[in-house]
Amino acid sequence: MSLLRLDRLSRNQKLALLAVALGLGALVLGGPRPGKIVLDERELAAIVEGEVDHVTPDELADWIVAGRQDYRLIDLRTAAEFAEYHIPQAENVAITALVDSDLARNEKIVLYSAEGIHSAQAWFLLKAKEFPAVYILLGGLKQWTEQVVFPEAPGESAGPVERIAFAKAAERAKFFGGASRAAAVAGPSTASAAPGGVGASGASAPTLPKVVPPPAPAPGGAAAKKKKEGC
Amino acid sequence: MNAPFFKFGLFGDEASLIVAFVIGIGFGFFLERAGFGSAKKLTDQFYFRDMAVFRVMFTAIVTAMLGLFYLAAVGWVDLSLVYIQPTYLWPQIVGGLLLGIGFIVGGYCPGTSLVALATGKLDALVFVAGVFAGIFAIGEVWPSITGFTESSNLGRLTLPEVLHLPMGLVVFLVVLMAVGGFWGAGVLERRFAASAAKEEK
Repeated sequence: MSLLRLDRLSRNQKLALLAVALGLGALVLGGPRPGKIVLDERELAAIVEGEVDHVTPDELADWIVAGRQDYRLIDLRTAAEFAEYHIPQAENVAITALVDSDLARNEKIVLYSAEGIHSAQAWFLLKAKEFPAVYILLGGLKQWTEQVVFPEAPGESAGPVERIAFAKAAERAKFFGGASRAAAVAGPSTASAAPGGVGASGASAPTLPKVVPPPAPAPGGAAAKKKKEGC
Repeated sequence: MNAPFFKFGLFGDEASLIVAFVIGIGFGFFLERAGFGSAKKLTDQFYFRDMAVFRVMFTAIVTAMLGLFYLAAVGWVDLSLVYIQPTYLWPQIVGGLLLGIGFIVGGYCPGTSLVALATGKLDALVFVAGVFAGIFAIGEVWPSITGFTESSNLGRLTLPEVLHLPMGLVVFLVVLMAVGGFWGAGVLERRFAASAAKEEK
């Protein structure tokens, strides 16, 4: 009897009926159960081994120049160090405040610290909190300074590929308020200790630019961090 | 294999553009198949003569909602990672009204105008030109109106949170609303299509 009635329904009516049935099922289920995602040590180790969670200074610099906004750049150093110099677009979040910060789990997060140890530790912290897309700036601010802000000219034996890459890096360095350096064959001739340098990281590098390059918005402004996602 | 795939790093930025392209083409294809490449069909919605827009949109909402709910229930989708546009209450009300006015005047919404343009409609060409002029104009004045556009930010809101109801109940209510709406749409169509036919005589 009921089968006979089902036959008389149009396809659209059957689909509507199916939707109602699934809706009833949802009513019974109540809500998606809070799934317990177990931290898989082997998977984490594989990520570390494969170095897929790294962003190189070159990549990050290109992102900033291109004006990409689909990630959050987190500076884990102290507020004083942050005020002295930080990478454009960076937000200062202390490692203790990381878990309670407004970082959302659906955001791509790039961490950096002076050299990389703190960011590696923060990476584990966020991974334990089930943040899926956490990346570390390879080599921290030290490598950023050496590679992006003050790129070093290749030696005399460098091939054309290296020379072209350096020319590009030198041009980009201007964007970040830096400059290229001559090849370090002769070694650092002057012992001009960089007064504005970032701690130990600026040992051989000239003074870091004091002023943040123009594309950086007022740091710390959460409202200025607009995401380009959704329709 | 967990979703959202992009958030779990199943593919990178470059591949995501290809995925977006394929999904976008699919979206456009089905909009066209629903008849939304015609401004006449779309504006008929506002006179209750043809409720196809309402039906298609609500069907899509219900399908996606049920799919996400059950995939999350079995643990294949992490809903907390699915992007939700933050609610900016007043800017979004004003924006919605502006879009509605443009829809009634121009006969298209942004997506359907591109679909219509792809099928060679000249009015869509004018509409798309208007869309780009509008994008350019708003881009020029944007810095001076951010005070408004970033006001009343309520963050990432969902119906279960606002109504303090279990998600399953909200899902069920939305399905009921849709099915009731489909039925009501048929009633409206029969009445207004009939009166429109009378007017034409």
